[in-house]
Amino acid sequence: MSLRGEPKTLNPLIAADTRTREVIAVMHADLVHINRATQLTEPALARSWKISPDGLAYTLVLRQGIKFSDGQPLDADDVLFTFRMYLDENVHAPQRDLLIVGGKPIVVRKVDARTVVFQLAKSYGVGERLFDGLAILPRHLLEKPYQEGKLGQIGSLATAADQWAGLGPFRLKEYVSGQRLVLERNPYYWKSDAKGNRLPYVDELVFLFVPNADAQVLKFQSGETDMISQLGAENFYVLSRQQRGYTMLDAGPGLEYNFVFFNLNDPGEKTTPEMQRKQKWFREVKFRQAVSAAVDREAIVRLVYQGRGAALWGLVAPGNRRWANEKLAHPARSLELARTLLKEAGFSWSNGPQGESTLLDSGGKPVEFSILTSSSNADRAKMAALLQDDLKQLGMRVQVVPLESRSLLDRVTQSKDYDACIMGIASYDADPNPDISVWLSSGGLHLWNPSQAHPATPWEAEIDRLIEEQMSARTFEQRKKIYDRAQEVLAENQPMIFLASPDILAGAKNSVGNFHPAVLEPYVLWNVEQLYLKMGTENATR
Amino acid sequence: MRYLLRRLGHAFSLLVGVSILAFLFTALAPGNYFDEMRLNPQIAPATVAAMRAQYGFDRPLLVRYASWLNSVIHGEMGFSFGYNSPVAPLLLMRARNTLLLTITATLLAWAIALPLGVWSAERLGRLPDRLLSWGTAALLVIPDLALALGLLVLAVRSAWFPTGGMASVDFETLTPLNKLRDLALHMILPVTALLLSVLPLLVRHVRAAVADVRNAPFLLAAVGHGIPRRTLLYRYALPAAANPLISLFGFSIGALLSGSLLIEVVMSWPGLGPLLLEAILARDLYLVIGGVLFSTVFLAGGNLLADLLLYWADPRIRTESSAR
Amino acid sequence: MSTRRTFVKWLVALGVLHGMVVCAGFLAPYNPVEQDRKSPYLPPTRLHLADANGHIHVRPFAYSVRLRVRSFDQYEEDTTEPHPVKFFLNGARYRLLGFLPCRMHFFGAEGTRIYLLGTDAYGRDQFSRFLFGGQVSLLAGLLGAGLTLLLGLCVGAVAGYYGGWRDSVLMRFAELFLALPWLYLLLALRAFLPLAVGPLEAFFLIIAVIGGVGWARPARLVRGVVLSARERDFVRAARGFGASNGYLLRRHILPETSSVLLTQAAILIPQYVLAEMTLSFLGLGVPEPAPSWGNLLSSLQQYSVLVSYWWMYLPALIMVPFFLGYLGLASSLQERAEAYKIETSSLGSLT
Repeated sequence: MSLRGEPKTLNPLIAADTRTREVIAVMHADLVHINRATQLTEPALARSWKISPDGLAYTLVLRQGIKFSDGQPLDADDVLFTFRMYLDENVHAPQRDLLIVGGKPIVVRKVDARTVVFQLAKSYGVGERLFDGLAILPRHLLEKPYQEGKLGQIGSLATAADQWAGLGPFRLKEYVSGQRLVLERNPYYWKSDAKGNRLPYVDELVFLFVPNADAQVLKFQSGETDMISQLGAENFYVLSRQQRGYTMLDAGPGLEYNFVFFNLNDPGEKTTPEMQRKQKWFREVKFRQAVSAAVDREAIVRLVYQGRGAALWGLVAPGNRRWANEKLAHPARSLELARTLLKEAGFSWSNGPQGESTLLDSGGKPVEFSILTSSSNADRAKMAALLQDDLKQLGMRVQVVPLESRSLLDRVTQSKDYDACIMGIASYDADPNPDISVWLSSGGLHLWNPSQAHPATPWEAEIDRLIEEQMSARTFEQRKKIYDRAQEVLAENQPMIFLASPDILAGAKNSVGNFHPAVLEPYVLWNVEQLYLKMGTENATR
Repeated sequence: MRYLLRRLGHAFSLLVGVSILAFLFTALAPGNYFDEMRLNPQIAPATVAAMRAQYGFDRPLLVRYASWLNSVIHGEMGFSFGYNSPVAPLLLMRARNTLLLTITATLLAWAIALPLGVWSAERLGRLPDRLLSWGTAALLVIPDLALALGLLVLAVRSAWFPTGGMASVDFETLTPLNKLRDLALHMILPVTALLLSVLPLLVRHVRAAVADVRNAPFLLAAVGHGIPRRTLLYRYALPAAANPLISLFGFSIGALLSGSLLIEVVMSWPGLGPLLLEAILARDLYLVIGGVLFSTVFLAGGNLLADLLLYWADPRIRTESSAR
Repeated sequence: MSTRRTFVKWLVALGVLHGMVVCAGFLAPYNPVEQDRKSPYLPPTRLHLADANGHIHVRPFAYSVRLRVRSFDQYEEDTTEPHPVKFFLNGARYRLLGFLPCRMHFFGAEGTRIYLLGTDAYGRDQFSRFLFGGQVSLLAGLLGAGLTLLLGLCVGAVAGYYGGWRDSVLMRFAELFLALPWLYLLLALRAFLPLAVGPLEAFFLIIAVIGGVGWARPARLVRGVVLSARERDFVRAARGFGASNGYLLRRHILPETSSVLLTQAAILIPQYVLAEMTLSFLGLGVPEPAPSWGNLLSSLQQYSVLVSYWWMYLPALIMVPFFLGYLGLASSLQERAEAYKIETSSLGSLT
């Protein structure tokens, strides 16, 4: 298995990026787990859970006889300690925000050595899903550093193997900087298969650090690694064309949604007159609808994803079968429609000296703007190049500005000095709740106008209301109905113009058994404890 | 001795200068590591702001430089936010690999360039010399990048060499001898790419330097004395041509270091190059400064070595330094 | 003199090559940013003389191509109708030399498109992109080298002519720049500068960065020349007659540096074209869709392109004559300087 770059830490309390989470996921376990294949919750460390009638209290009962990978037993105090860590403001755990429900942190209470009660301030549609991905920490190792205030510094990759423990299927064996991280089978792991064999099947899991996607492919192709995931379409194509002893799998469209959005922030004192003029176009809903109509989504799927992706008209990707609104219209590309919409909104065209037409706004000024894109994401850069060409046919002069991803975010969320931007977000879970900061007008990822004090438009207010409503609705059917409506409001107003969603592509040697990539993160290693090597001669999954 | 001390002091002041320069530049850089976390829907902006304050980004530049100097004295060279660890150990591990690559390439390059250059100078203007000149010219005009990529394709197609990285997965289980073999196999591609990028220049310079002294009166006299050709070339001509070649030595180390940055990235060799590139893109401030400084240390070390060689080879410098 | 003849020969060769790039609009059949979405990664168009029925045509012709069903990049020729290559025909509008509106192209075909070097991921003509990209890359090299030489000239002249503390401060500063491996320096400089700029600004930024990296070496060379020129008899004489510093520098000393500067230019320009390519290769250069040689090659860093589409290499091969031209020019200049050096027996330690 190769990782694109090194994980930053083994400490779940400070892990923030995908690679790190992927490693941590195989070394730790959560109380309640979301099955990546069925997208439903299932018991993990907690044998069972009960929800009180008012939906505010969750009672979880731990399994019996569970031990950490260093042999120490797990009890309710570890769970209490873990949640104290996640909720402590001084720890700065990224998971903290998730555990604030209805404005108040979740209160955790111990009932007996194996029973814990979680008290929510407000009822939450699918409270048990909150527990997924929250690794239960070994109190016996972390309490002392915590009291000394050194919690942030421990768990670096150079930690000695006996100084670190988790509840996941694998434990730390060895780390070689810049090259690899070796994990070995956790002999105390609590899962076993139907026949009673203790899991995991493989003895060793090796993560090779490879700096880029192509090196990953090379390693896989030369047989140095057994599995490969998060493949781009081009590399998937190369690998499937010359299959030699491995199988390539297309798990279908994932949960990543790519979109372009315009700057709809409220003009402040610092807004230049030019920006105000541009925002007048962007605020015009027909302008945004025209852009959406002019986008050649089919070309994006074909040229960017080589057909291994899905065109997108809404926030919920087709890969999310349970939550996508099936009734959402999927209009085909139509430049005529786009032109009609623009004409209705008061735009006109003029013919330049070289025969090219230029779109003019009602004030007679040419429509020119720039689209930001992340320089490190080749797919999105390609989309921007296609979009630029699409919009040129409407007479819009568009400039693509590739930015390093951090300065891109700085521009969008801090200085708000941009016209339009292409971005992609991968939902962490199929459930809508993790995406609420995109939906809500007060959310930080409500990118076109983030962190509003009050909803700026009636339709944003409506979305806010719908999302709040679905959060406390109790049944799936109710929530789905409300959520469908929210998707429709979004599609009508096009604050985000959705482009496409890539397939999850992965591959493994034919000798790897139980290889079933899922569309949820971690795409390939979600069932790591069930993976096995068929030959029985080799002892390592790499 | 005084000469050596002076050169050392010189190298040290260079390092301080480079570090100040680097700090000034990083202060101008927009964006930082914590912004990446904002894309994660599960983290609130307040959390990010708190972490930013914790790492001292809000303090003035001079204070940051002072605290950085302090951590250099403690052998840390600042803190990498990306790796959540002091910078120096991260860099040391990578620097070792870069050194392994560059030193091997340097030694090999000179071991090939010297005889080849002398051989060519001896046949000045004749067919073999002209052929060699054309060969080096051809290598010179092909971009290093194209060479490295070509070698990579060759490796993939032929499956003769490993395609990147520094060691096989089962490296730790091998016997010492096999470990060496494994390492050598992994080094073939990057070292070849490096060699090809620097060799033509070296050969040309050696050839020119030897050709320059070939017709010097003392050599013509030596020929007259009937000294064998080989001895003549290597014992007399080469040392006389050493002066420009030794300054070329320092230059070759610089060229190889630069070349290795690109080649490490292309061939995924776990050296300073990929780490630095990643750090630059991630705005991992102290890691960038550390990486640039380390490369400076290497180059300064190479130049120091060249100075020493010069001191040893050229009596004029010895007398000059003792005269002062 | 034969060195003079080789010098002129190389200069003419370079002139022709650059002329081709300058007239990119006329020689290139298509607009370099125009996307032909029906044909991504199309191999170079095959030009035929004999058609499917065995008839020989006088004029070379091409067949139109179409994608194979259910394939992304496999094409087949439609052999029903040959489309002959035509010369001096009208096509995409462009401005010759940047201002003359024009429609005439050197070659092309009606009914199909001729891609001499194939197409890239968006179906853009690689040949047109190569020619237009040359405008960007060569100009970046030229301007970058110009900037470096200007900086080097100023710093070197001040350091060499005035000497004293100015000399030691400037040379110390120069050593700082020489002490860093240039690629590390280049990357660090580029990364610390704002990346948030449009194509034109990025272009000038890159020129500034690569121009700002290399000034130390020419500065040292110029300083050496100025140092020796300052002590020449005619300069001393002129000073004796009361010539001002500015006059001396302008009339007597700086002209002495011209041969060093010329040689340096011939060495620096290809180096800087390469620097631009490296920056673009690493994604820090002139942004797409503007073509530049670096951008053309940067798609090669994708392994899939490397192994699947051999024609993406071709630009790298076609660039070689340009570098060869500069190499030849530089060595003929160096030979000339060598001869000059022996004549005047001036400072010898210039490398």
